[in-house]
Amino acid sequence: MNLDLGGPGPGCSALRVRRLLAGELSGVEKERTEAHVTGCERCAAVREEIAAEREALRRDVPFPQFAAGVAEKLAHRPRRDFVSRWAPLAAAAGLLLVTGTTLVLRPPADTERERPKGSVSAQLFVQDASGVHELAAGDPVADGARLLVSLRPEQHKRVAAILIESSEASVIYQGPAVKGPLPQAFEWTGKGVATLLLVLSDSPVDAKTIRSKDDAPRGAEVLQVTLRR
Amino acid sequence: MNVPGLRVVVGGRAGELAGPGSPAPAGLLAELYEKHAAAVYGRCRYLLKEDAEAKDALQDVFVKALRALPEFRAAASPSTWILRIATHHCLNLLRARKALWREQLRTVQAERQVDTETPDRRELVRVVLAAAPEEAQEVAVLYFVDELTQAEIAQEMGRSLPTIRKRLREFLACAREALGVPLQEGGDL
Repeated sequence: MNLDLGGPGPGCSALRVRRLLAGELSGVEKERTEAHVTGCERCAAVREEIAAEREALRRDVPFPQFAAGVAEKLAHRPRRDFVSRWAPLAAAAGLLLVTGTTLVLRPPADTERERPKGSVSAQLFVQDASGVHELAAGDPVADGARLLVSLRPEQHKRVAAILIESSEASVIYQGPAVKGPLPQAFEWTGKGVATLLLVLSDSPVDAKTIRSKDDAPRGAEVLQVTLRR
Repeated sequence: MNVPGLRVVVGGRAGELAGPGSPAPAGLLAELYEKHAAAVYGRCRYLLKEDAEAKDALQDVFVKALRALPEFRAAASPSTWILRIATHHCLNLLRARKALWREQLRTVQAERQVDTETPDRRELVRVVLAAAPEEAQEVAVLYFVDELTQAEIAQEMGRSLPTIRKRLREFLACAREALGVPLQEGGDL
């Protein structure tokens, strides 16, 4: 018996069916493929397979799980990517946060001078109508601005970022503490004052239990920045 | 509990933020998921066989796609582009555990000795990949699984048509030897 491993047939191609369904074909190629697929059993089987793949995806990897996984893996992005886009801004602005049990936003010149070598720190970048820049001490957060935290976690393995407003808390990120930007940017559309807490520790942090710096686990270091609008 | 005024932008990284005209990152990821994730997950499940590994590989493939977003957007066929990334990624994972891959091939070889039923073609292709040279592996997936013609593969991979034909013949020679049976060759082979 001769085994048949398959391959493209006359007019049949699994990838062409995929491209047709994805809207990637046009003109004569689209018309020819549509005409062929109608009534072709082999291509009908491919369509069924594509439908089964969609079911499997939604069953096994729903979007929130997918997005969270991709975001976490992006946190391990090579540093050079970050540096190439952000280093000039960071160098110009200096550091926003310095280490300690609890830290508050200070002018860049002070923080640069006071930051001990090897200590944890973070920077907060903002993109608003004026472009991308580091948020300076006391500056209000513009409406619609996107905020992105960049970490220098030093020895700490885990980090949780929590935004606290009017005694309510929202977890922005919890996971591995990787030097560089967190995988998620965020928008704060509230009014008045909010506090961003960054809790760095050597073991996993249950971010949902943290409402203030006092809730941080023993041994953790906490960075704190006040957002105003 | 969520702060009422907070909106987390999933995947809103520096690179995304830096592009003032770029779509919202959460929207971008949702769009990519809708358009391409099912096909990529299908490819990862087919090649890796383990659902847990396939889920992990699915995310890895999209991380690669996001890091090469301009190239992805510029591709003539984004479906083809991302499936090739998925195939390449999974083949690399399989090469890293070559012993297990070859064990699967030995199992199929043993079954072929006693089984008179026609086996699943694509499963045969998958296990025979273990015995083929690296470039022939990708060419075989494009030909036998994606069902591209040799000319389409040559264009996609930036190789000459004779090179693609040579790689396919290498793969078929490996398949004949591994399975110990004659193979029916396709029309353009």
